[in-house]
Amino acid sequence: MVKHYRPPGKKKEGNAARYITRSQAVKHLQVTLPLFRRLCILKGVFPREPKKKVKGNHHTYYHVKDVAFLQHEPLLEIFRDKRAYEKKIKKAESKKNPDLANRLRTRIPTYTLDRIIRERYPKFVDALRDLDDCLTMVHLFAALPALEREKLEVDRIHNCRRLSHEWQAYISRVHKLRKVFISVKGIYYQAEVEGQKVTWLTPHALQQVLPEDDVDFNVMLTFLEVYETLLTFANYHLYHSINVKYPPILDPRLEALASDLYALSRYIDANSRTSVVDPQAPTMSGSEQVETQNKGTQPDESDLRLAQLQYQLPLNEPGALMRLAEDVAGEDEEDEDTRECKKLFKSLKFFLSREVPRESLLFVIPAFGGVVSWEGEGAPFKEADQSITHQIVDRPSQGHKFLSREYVQPQWVYDCVNARIILPTENYLVGRVPPPHLSPFVDNEAEGYVPEYAETIKRLQAATRNEVLPLPGVGKEDLEDPQKLLVEGVIDRAEANEAAERKRKMTLEQNRYLDELKMEVDGLQSSSTGPNNKQTSKEMEAREESEPDIQRIAQDHANMSKVVMSRNKRKLYEAMEIGKKRKQANVNLLKERKKKMEAGQKFES
Amino acid sequence: MKNKEENKRMRNASNPQSEEEPLINEKPPLALLQKQHQRQLASASDSESDSDYEDFSEAGDSGQSLSESEASESGSSGDEGIANSDDNGLDDDHGQEDQSNSSELQQGVEESDSSEDEVAPRNTIGEVPLEWYKDEAHIGYDLAGKKIKKKERQDKLDSFLASADDSKNWLKIYDEYNDEEVEVTRKELRLVRRLLKGKAPHADFDPYAPYVDWFKWDDAKHPLSNAPEPKRRFIPSKWESKKVVKLVRAIRMGLIKFDKPKEEKRFYPLWGDDSSSTEKANHLAYIPAPKPKLPGHEESYNPSLEYIPTQEEINSYQLMYDEDRPKFIPRRYMSLRSIPAYDNGVKDIFERCLDLYLCPRVRKKRINIDPESLKPKLPSRKDLKPYPITCYLEYKGHQDAVMSISIEASGQWVASGSLDGTVRIWEVETGRCLRVWEIGEAVKCVAWNPLHELPILAVSAGQDVLLLNTGFGDEEEQKKIKEILHVETSKTPDDSGNKVPIVSWLQDDKHEGIRLRHFKTVSSVEWHRKGDYLSTVMPAGESRAVLIHQLSKKHTQRIPFKLHGLPVSAVFHPTRSIFFISTKKNVRVYDLWQQKFIKKLETGLREVSSIAVHPGGDNVIVGSKEGKLCWFDMDLSSQPYRILKCHPKDITNVAFHRSYPLFASCSDDCTAYVFHGMVYSDLNQNPLVVPLEILRGHTSSNGRGVMDCKFHPRQPWLFTAGADSVIKLYCH
Repeated sequence: MVKHYRPPGKKKEGNAARYITRSQAVKHLQVTLPLFRRLCILKGVFPREPKKKVKGNHHTYYHVKDVAFLQHEPLLEIFRDKRAYEKKIKKAESKKNPDLANRLRTRIPTYTLDRIIRERYPKFVDALRDLDDCLTMVHLFAALPALEREKLEVDRIHNCRRLSHEWQAYISRVHKLRKVFISVKGIYYQAEVEGQKVTWLTPHALQQVLPEDDVDFNVMLTFLEVYETLLTFANYHLYHSINVKYPPILDPRLEALASDLYALSRYIDANSRTSVVDPQAPTMSGSEQVETQNKGTQPDESDLRLAQLQYQLPLNEPGALMRLAEDVAGEDEEDEDTRECKKLFKSLKFFLSREVPRESLLFVIPAFGGVVSWEGEGAPFKEADQSITHQIVDRPSQGHKFLSREYVQPQWVYDCVNARIILPTENYLVGRVPPPHLSPFVDNEAEGYVPEYAETIKRLQAATRNEVLPLPGVGKEDLEDPQKLLVEGVIDRAEANEAAERKRKMTLEQNRYLDELKMEVDGLQSSSTGPNNKQTSKEMEAREESEPDIQRIAQDHANMSKVVMSRNKRKLYEAMEIGKKRKQANVNLLKERKKKMEAGQKFES
Repeated sequence: MKNKEENKRMRNASNPQSEEEPLINEKPPLALLQKQHQRQLASASDSESDSDYEDFSEAGDSGQSLSESEASESGSSGDEGIANSDDNGLDDDHGQEDQSNSSELQQGVEESDSSEDEVAPRNTIGEVPLEWYKDEAHIGYDLAGKKIKKKERQDKLDSFLASADDSKNWLKIYDEYNDEEVEVTRKELRLVRRLLKGKAPHADFDPYAPYVDWFKWDDAKHPLSNAPEPKRRFIPSKWESKKVVKLVRAIRMGLIKFDKPKEEKRFYPLWGDDSSSTEKANHLAYIPAPKPKLPGHEESYNPSLEYIPTQEEINSYQLMYDEDRPKFIPRRYMSLRSIPAYDNGVKDIFERCLDLYLCPRVRKKRINIDPESLKPKLPSRKDLKPYPITCYLEYKGHQDAVMSISIEASGQWVASGSLDGTVRIWEVETGRCLRVWEIGEAVKCVAWNPLHELPILAVSAGQDVLLLNTGFGDEEEQKKIKEILHVETSKTPDDSGNKVPIVSWLQDDKHEGIRLRHFKTVSSVEWHRKGDYLSTVMPAGESRAVLIHQLSKKHTQRIPFKLHGLPVSAVFHPTRSIFFISTKKNVRVYDLWQQKFIKKLETGLREVSSIAVHPGGDNVIVGSKEGKLCWFDMDLSSQPYRILKCHPKDITNVAFHRSYPLFASCSDDCTAYVFHGMVYSDLNQNPLVVPLEILRGHTSSNGRGVMDCKFHPRQPWLFTAGADSVIKLYCH
């Protein structure tokens, strides 16, 4: 009998019944492969890895239930309709009936993906969790040119741009941005929305490089379809959580000036203010919004009602109540982080020169409580404004300078944001090479290597934390002199090293003493025999030789505990060791380079 | 009559059209410009007197050319001839235009203020790509067929400076065809502006002039047609109404569907109130895709200097395998503005998309633990003292590798056998060599009789096993020993007479002992605890490979069991009449008393090399040539209770201590491991095995390391015999 023989009439079991290959699935669904892929993308169905691959290793397997899930999708029917409809158009065209073809083209069956989004993400939190890729993609497409050959339509690009701006406006408004990192690939942002960390990448504001042939835009556009819908609804949800109507209606003047983000934030401000001032007015938003005046801003309606009862008398004027509500909301909603972020640039006023990446800074600075303007039309205030504290400049030298403000490079803003303190601007002034820009996503301690500048920042942070009320003289000096701090750090480390050295010597001494004691005892035991003494002296020599290799002893220890481990654990342990070693090697490489660099510098000086 | 009228109308209408014509023509814009200019001039000369008209000489020139051209093409179009008198200016320029169409290169010449006006085109190469002359020194040929030399090209800086100085520079256009610089006049400029706005080039041309109907309708005596108005002009069309009815019907029946107004996208709270949506997805559990890796310091646009690889390192990446090669090489940009566009932005995201929908997703348990926590918690080694730690003594004297050692029951003497053919006895405490026997053959194994009062040494060398009298003990004992070792000599020939024995017992006079002659090489000798029996193993002996000799009766017998595989060694149980025979794969346990097979211990090892039995008798350790040590608990199962992979090379021997909970293994890697092996009397508690110490000191020779290890019977001391011909004693 064959090993996998299944008698006729007996059902398949196990992996054979649970998984089918892709071609089987395609055949089963009676669709073409591209359509199948499209469906998979839309529905979020992915291949699985069965434990036992019944059909062989080189197949892709889908779960039977996943395929059934696709089969019951109404979209499948719509796609079939579309295909049939396409045939009609083709027929009309081949019969030289362009009128009919055009008329038919206007009525191609359409579909929406709302239901699918809802199905894939039953809760809003689920959607937030998966928002990373969505945001990255939407931001990328917002920066792409419309391409006819790739069916990249202008509408979609505009839609992406709008969505990305809406998202940024929200994040900026609620001060949820946490980390920013300028990499070679683009700018990474990390926000924390409803407890979820959402990270996305926006390309630099440059002409994007479009690869010629190795990118299939059809696939990306299908993904984009889902992502657009997802982000629309996510934005809708978020906007309503701060009582702002969605989709926003923007000031056409600002929109024309391509300062969408500013227009949006103005809109949000205005809208939320109006809703704060007269919340009872259902005129602007209709019943829908009243319904969805949700718990985001007014965390506890019962609380509110209670407060209402208490303040029965002044209730007559709505403003008072709302202030109350706002207070409650403000205290409850904002966690420690948000408050900190909100305060960071509180008293600062920024002005952007025209060469800095405006979009990014317009997003980041207000997100941390700063006021910002830029060079160009529609700007809230002009360059000549005396109250500007910082001007962001990215050019080799600045001609005319106002004495009342500091001219810093854009990196200063990002570094401040990541460090959550106002860094001294000295190193970032115009024309200087700024200090290294470090990734806020790296846990330096876990990585095992702390870059020099990270330590400096840490010290500065500690300094600001300690000095709640910084003395004007000393504190500032301390703050502004990272070099000095560094030197202190070095001294500290040297001291620690010395201590360690001392300790090691102590232990050595102790060991020697113990050995001598032991030898004495031995000597007493066998003092009668002559050769034994010689032996012991020889042995002592051997001992002395072996003393330096403490390493070997440590290795022995490690070996010995490894001996007792079971095989699985030992393998696991060894794998971990390899990983650790690799990591250590990386760290060592960095240290080596650093040392070389320092040596080189010394040599030069 | 009517015909004529229409003709006129047509003419009227065609005028602006003809003016537009050059736009459609494939001429360089400059030519067009110039043509317009000329036309303007012509019109100016007869109708309008422009105030800002500067260049009179030019006007004169063009006037000349005009007249000439007119002459050349008179009567080219009959239509024009009719209206010639009416609008002279227009016609004029029409003719002019035609002319320029026919010889389109004239304009440049006309434009230029030089005297060579009459020589119509400067360049005569025709409409060929100018690239053909790119590398030549000339730009073409004049009418005479001479080469027209290229002008000297100003270098960029000069031209830029010139342009900066010259305020009128923006009016200058370079004519590539004729290699000339042409300055646009104001009028031309005005023309261009008007054209750019999409107006007619002439300022005075009114495209929407009221139509003057020259036909006087009222004066006519007769109508054009005298037929009465037909009836159909007064009644509604039947067929139209039929068509309408048909359409109405079709609409009512729903055959015709109207276009729906395009629906705007609707937005609504998709998630509504989150708390209520507890519905579970009715499909499989969703495995979220792993998030992309977050960027590290090295991806920064301005990383710390130590993150940037040196040029050599970058070069060395070329030698790496593709998959090892770092995909991203950090670079430093001094300022934000100098970051270039990232080449792989779209591609990266596309690849991410592929990952999302093409990669199988599996939930994998990621173990995020400290590797140290994997290590089992061993009791502190200090608590397990005493055990041998350091080399205390060395016994030197052998010339070759020491193959085997044995300690006398009292623990005072050590016997050792070496490949140099000697057996030596050493005093344990001093390392003094007491006695030497020259066996003459490489000694494989030595074994003391376990009885204290019977200090006999069994030595296996080649095919012989020698039982030697060591000469210890008081006289009574000596006498007894001599008696034991003596009597057989006379008997053996008698025995050999009636049947061929497996082993012949011979008296060895030289060494004052017995020589047991086997038919194959003996690999090991083992005494029974009572000191009367001893077993020998001949690996090549097939069914008679394992023999048991009785000393008192001088009798030899083979074990009454079938052997499976090559025997490696055989051991007696320390307390009961049980016998262990280890073959290369397995260990078989027999009851000698009941002559019964008890158990098979499946080692799972490739090749067993040695075996030792715990003094309690319920635990066995087996060493193998792959460096693994198996601990069997006989009560538990036939599988090893614990496998310790300690040595990288062959284990040569294993040993249990007789009283301390210690065991040791020695191996060809020149080390010996000492373990704590506690066996509890409580049956519920499994034996505790703790590695204690790695003993080093021996050096390797011929690829062999430590050949044998034995514990001192009373002290926690370990003797090891090395292939470097040294015996070492390790003490606590």
